[in-house]
Amino acid sequence: MSLLRNVARGLRSLFRKERVDRELDEEMGAYLEMAAAEKMKDGLSHKEALRAVRLEQGTLEVTKEIVRSGGWEFVVDTLWRDLLFAFRLLRKNPGSTAAVVVALALGMGLNTTVFSFVNALLLRPPRGVKAPEQLREVWIHNPRSSGAEAYLPMTYPDYFYYRDHNQSFEGMLAYDFDPHLVIWNKSGEGQTVLGQLVSGNFFSLLGVNAVLGRTISAEDDQTANPQPVVVLGYAFWRRYFGSDSTIVGKTLTLNGANYGVIGVAPAGFTGLLVGFEPDFWAPTAMVEQITRDKGRLSNWRVHWLIAIGRLKTEASTSGARAEASVLEHQIDMDHPDLKRNLDATVFPATLIPAPLRVYVSAFTALLMAAFGFVLLIACANVASFLLARSTRRTREMAVRAALGAGRGRVIQQMLVESTLLSSLAGLLGLILAYWTAPLLLALKPASLPITLRLPIDWRVLVFTVIVSLICGVVFGLTPALRSASVSVVANLKDETQPAGFRQSRLRSLLMTGEIATCTVLLICGTLCVRSLRNASSINPGFNTQHVIAATLDPGSLGYSDTQVRTFYEQLSEHVRTLPGVTAASFTDHLPLGPAREHTILDPMQPKSNKNDAIPIDILRVAPDYFQTMGISLLRGRDFISSEGAEGSAVTIINEALAKRLWKNQDPVGQRMTFWAGPGKKSSTEVIGVVPTGKYRTLGEAPVPVVYLPQLRARRTLVVRTSGDPTTLLDSIRREIHSVDPNIAPTDLETMQQYMSLPLFPARTTGLLLGVSGFLALALTTIGLFGVISYIVSQRTHEIGVRVALGAQRTDVLNLIIRHGLLLTVIGLVIGLGIAFGAGHLLSSLLYGIAPTDPATFIAVAIVLCAVVFLACYIPARRAISVDPLVALRYE
Amino acid sequence: MSDKPSDLVQGTLDMLILKTLALEPTHGYGISVRIEQMSKGVFRLNAGSLFLAIQRLERDGLIEGEWKPTENNRRAKYYALTHKGRKRLDNETREWGRQVAAIARILEAS
Repeated sequence: MSLLRNVARGLRSLFRKERVDRELDEEMGAYLEMAAAEKMKDGLSHKEALRAVRLEQGTLEVTKEIVRSGGWEFVVDTLWRDLLFAFRLLRKNPGSTAAVVVALALGMGLNTTVFSFVNALLLRPPRGVKAPEQLREVWIHNPRSSGAEAYLPMTYPDYFYYRDHNQSFEGMLAYDFDPHLVIWNKSGEGQTVLGQLVSGNFFSLLGVNAVLGRTISAEDDQTANPQPVVVLGYAFWRRYFGSDSTIVGKTLTLNGANYGVIGVAPAGFTGLLVGFEPDFWAPTAMVEQITRDKGRLSNWRVHWLIAIGRLKTEASTSGARAEASVLEHQIDMDHPDLKRNLDATVFPATLIPAPLRVYVSAFTALLMAAFGFVLLIACANVASFLLARSTRRTREMAVRAALGAGRGRVIQQMLVESTLLSSLAGLLGLILAYWTAPLLLALKPASLPITLRLPIDWRVLVFTVIVSLICGVVFGLTPALRSASVSVVANLKDETQPAGFRQSRLRSLLMTGEIATCTVLLICGTLCVRSLRNASSINPGFNTQHVIAATLDPGSLGYSDTQVRTFYEQLSEHVRTLPGVTAASFTDHLPLGPAREHTILDPMQPKSNKNDAIPIDILRVAPDYFQTMGISLLRGRDFISSEGAEGSAVTIINEALAKRLWKNQDPVGQRMTFWAGPGKKSSTEVIGVVPTGKYRTLGEAPVPVVYLPQLRARRTLVVRTSGDPTTLLDSIRREIHSVDPNIAPTDLETMQQYMSLPLFPARTTGLLLGVSGFLALALTTIGLFGVISYIVSQRTHEIGVRVALGAQRTDVLNLIIRHGLLLTVIGLVIGLGIAFGAGHLLSSLLYGIAPTDPATFIAVAIVLCAVVFLACYIPARRAISVDPLVALRYE
Repeated sequence: MSDKPSDLVQGTLDMLILKTLALEPTHGYGISVRIEQMSKGVFRLNAGSLFLAIQRLERDGLIEGEWKPTENNRRAKYYALTHKGRKRLDNETREWGRQVAAIARILEAS
């Protein structure tokens, strides 16, 4: 009741303000008159009596203000009026407003961009899925390992065991961890499409219904009798079938086998993995047919399924985790022959598989930190700008206080102004993020089959609003408190002190912090940019110029060994006849890519100096590989084609391995033994030595490598040309098609395009931290320039007096520049210290440069000093060019 | 007690205003004069805090205002206690009595 009345009264005051004001006026007037009448009884005149009452009670206006401020509507009303006033104020100085807003917007925009990545990768639930918050990932965990490698997906029998024995989940689904690039025979032409194998309950457990036909059912996914059926992705169906509504019942030829289309998934549903949008889904039980890996379904050693359970409402994550651990233990007991000794654990399901989340979080946290610092610098700039303005507005504040504005009112008004500034900046930042996020995506190498969407959804909006508000309060609070503590009398009498260096201590402190932060960012940025230059110039051990690569897999079509061999022989001949081609060969996989084959050298054969097993990487190559890749043979000879047969025991090794095994001997002709499989040793003869290159990452230490001549069905074609390799891409695609129209190449690209993959981390960090360093420098310069200019303008009078009294212009110049440089040196020392301490955080991202690289530190210090000197010199010049007469007449 | 007008104990102003109006409806100035008289000059109200309290009491529905002409032909807002206001005054008076008695007991104990 009384609340309602309160609201009604408040609303009345808000919307019928004049009437309410008039009533208050009248009531107060009556009060005044009655008090005066009382006084007049003592013999005072009317006028004297009124004056006496005012002296006793304060002015009518102040009293009215006190009464008005009692209601809640007062806050709304004043907020609105403050907002209008702030708008007017900002409109009056469009230049400085724009500068402040743009600087802040840059900081906020970058942070919003990074956050939109965090959102897309870590926060956003999968689209089109019913109650995604109930989903949990179950991972097998190897307690003897660490990092992401400690977690294993499930084998097919594992999944069945967990699915049928758990009590925590309503149901448990599985899908394959690796996307399957499958060749779709589109009326005679091969095209690669992306498929995902899913368990029969995948769609039903996720609550996803087909827009056309039906989804995969448990009957389709029976191990004994799997059905060759596919559900098409919505985008794929639209793009390649023109949303054909009669698609259900038609067949697709995938990897040489026929699959019936049973339905189309709804728009927006792309599965549970980020960045991966399958063209089709097929039952997991079809895996043997699609990958041509016989026995996969009963294999307890091949881990390939991500298992996801829907938690029962009464179950908890910790309960599910404990249960998973027990189930894994039971598997170990039931199958002692496996010697697994593994554990299992449960995570909430997100778009990034749990073991990889740490890496993504660490990387985005680094970016967030860098851009957060940029934002901090921008905030410091705005704070010092507002501080300067608040000093200029002390008179206004004094008048407000004299008219009855309380401390809270003044603080409120200043905060409204600063939040208005930051909200404008936030809005602009959002627009900026909308443009820059896709630009960032363009950094991704084209060969990565990842499609990432960065929607500006409510989470991003909330983030920006919160950051805007925090910024507004952070940079507005100090100036606001400053304004609220204005001394009324002194200011109204105009006894203000000019803002000297001592008066601007707070601003100086801000600038010092800004310079320190800027130093750190600039050093990180420079290190990363230099590291990028280093990485680009790292010799990967092969010549990236004039080489083309294309990956082929006739085995996926079910070709026999002979068919595969014939295909490659014919292709090799065709390609060699192309104009400009000087050499062509095949390899199992390219170095520096995601694929890897490794084994362990038998330490007893030959006797190594240390009695330990040497891990080695295996690369399988055809003859002429070294010539094609521009790798010189240091010793011995290349493979010949007859050695490609199974059983030929020859090998070429790299220098790193040669040095390790036979320090002062000629390795050619020596024999060595390595593990070629569980319990299987392979003894080979070394026939050649090549220089050590880079195989896993560009920053790696020398890795011992053996080259073997035996290749498999899946190969990468490498071609060297004498001219521009890009002109040859189409002819190579044509040649492949003419040899076998069913085979489509994947990753057909020049070697330089391929190299964007290993350079991706260096490029991203180099670009992003470079940008943040540059922005930090620009913002700091602007901020410093503003502060020094302001101090100079406030001291025009004093400088005039100094000059009039005979001070030399250089003295004045020194006075001003010295102050700026002092701030810089203090900030610089602090910043260098922090950068020195925090540098090791970056070390894993840097190529060929120490995080404490002295040249970088010195260069950054010099550049910063030079820029600061300029920022001080220009306003200082203006100060000494002031005519002392003008300066003195100023007041 | 000193001769200077003293500050009111926090929260008692409302109770005093209610008590004043319980005797007879009156306007703002009337309230302040009556409180000063009844307290024999110990409490002297500032117009600001008086009208702030009046506004609060009116919004809470404890008192009601009505514009009426005064003796010397001006218009003033006369306030009267509502039923709810009377109940609140009774409650607060009882509570106040209890508290004063308790405080007195504590102060007198030695």
